[in-house]
Amino acid sequence: MMPISLNILAEEEFTVNGPLRSIPLPFLNDIVGEENACIAESVVTQWVVMVILAVVFFILGRNLKVKPETKRQVVAEWIVNFFVGNVETSMGTYYKKRYAPYIGALFCFCILSCLMGLFGFRNPTADVSVTGTWAIITFVLVLWTKIRTGGFKGYLHSFIEPLPFMLPFNIIGDFANPISQAMRLFGNNLSGMVIGGLVYFALGSFAIAVPAVLSLYFDLFSAVIQSYIFCTLTMSYVAMADMSE
Amino acid sequence: MGMTLMDGEMLQLVNINPSTIVFTLINTLIILLLYTFFLHKPVMKILEQRKEQIGNEMKAAEDAQKEAEAIKAEYTSKLKESQEEAAQIVSAAVKRAGERENQIIAEAQQEAADLKKKAEESIELEKKKAINEIKDQISDIVIMASEKVCEKEISKSDNEALINKFIAEVGNK
Repeated sequence: MMPISLNILAEEEFTVNGPLRSIPLPFLNDIVGEENACIAESVVTQWVVMVILAVVFFILGRNLKVKPETKRQVVAEWIVNFFVGNVETSMGTYYKKRYAPYIGALFCFCILSCLMGLFGFRNPTADVSVTGTWAIITFVLVLWTKIRTGGFKGYLHSFIEPLPFMLPFNIIGDFANPISQAMRLFGNNLSGMVIGGLVYFALGSFAIAVPAVLSLYFDLFSAVIQSYIFCTLTMSYVAMADMSE
Repeated sequence: MGMTLMDGEMLQLVNINPSTIVFTLINTLIILLLYTFFLHKPVMKILEQRKEQIGNEMKAAEDAQKEAEAIKAEYTSKLKESQEEAAQIVSAAVKRAGERENQIIAEAQQEAADLKKKAEESIELEKKKAINEIKDQISDIVIMASEKVCEKEISKSDNEALINKFIAEVGNK
């Protein structure tokens, strides 16, 4: 797919591109099988996010007391309890301990990635490779849960349930879930970027107030909602895959 | 935003980039580890400890309450016992006092009766004594009177009749 190009006026052209290739890494050439393989901008932004999260997690999680003495600890407990509570509500007690860390980490990663757009970084969640990776993780978790709860035979058998002619739909369903999940997050954030870019482009030097409101919606509100939806979908897909009930 | 006409090589808008996938996977795992070991586990550990501590404290409080209730029951029963005892003591005292009262009254009545009897006896005695004395005096008087009368002529029979009549009269007075 080619970059989006819009001819709004005859002389000017508005282009939205994919993530910038930034750092060439020679050792990647062999691994990826490309010549001149580079790290995408989204990965660099992720590193920034990782550094921020590492610092935040480290500061929040140290010197905890049984009797809370600092607001920091209250915040830390609230965050952890929020994820544990959410996972328990959507997935049940068995998954509470196993999935709460992953959901928490994913949500923090996702939301901070989205918020990086506010600071001039390219939003990593507007890269389908990033959202796709998370969807692949969900797919693997779903697969593992199905095999763990139903056995390999049970997993295969689930494709012809409730009736054998459902087989193609079940196969499509298995793949449609992660793809739609990845596309939802990707599309929302990319559309925010595109609309923001268009508004900047259209307003030209009059770009005051209006982009700020849009940015508030797309980079803050939408980012939080979409991150939350992504995590909720991951939880519900895994919970639905549980065949033990 | 830097999205228009950027210099440098761009990836396509919707592109599957293997290196991005691999790095995102690695980054996600690192974030997972960071979150787990810096935040999740310490907080869960603290929550667990708090839960345990609260459980212990609640158990201690329950024990203390049970103990207090036992002590309360003990004191209540003791109080009841002592109240009963006091009531017994009072009722025994009342009973004894009543008995004593009756006894005193009986004794007093007895004494009064004795005194009355004695008085009656002594009155009777005095009365008899007085009567006898009067009789003696009367006899003397009669003798004196008869002596006076004898100075006159009187028959013996008349004399006796007269005396008896007189005695009877005196006796009736």
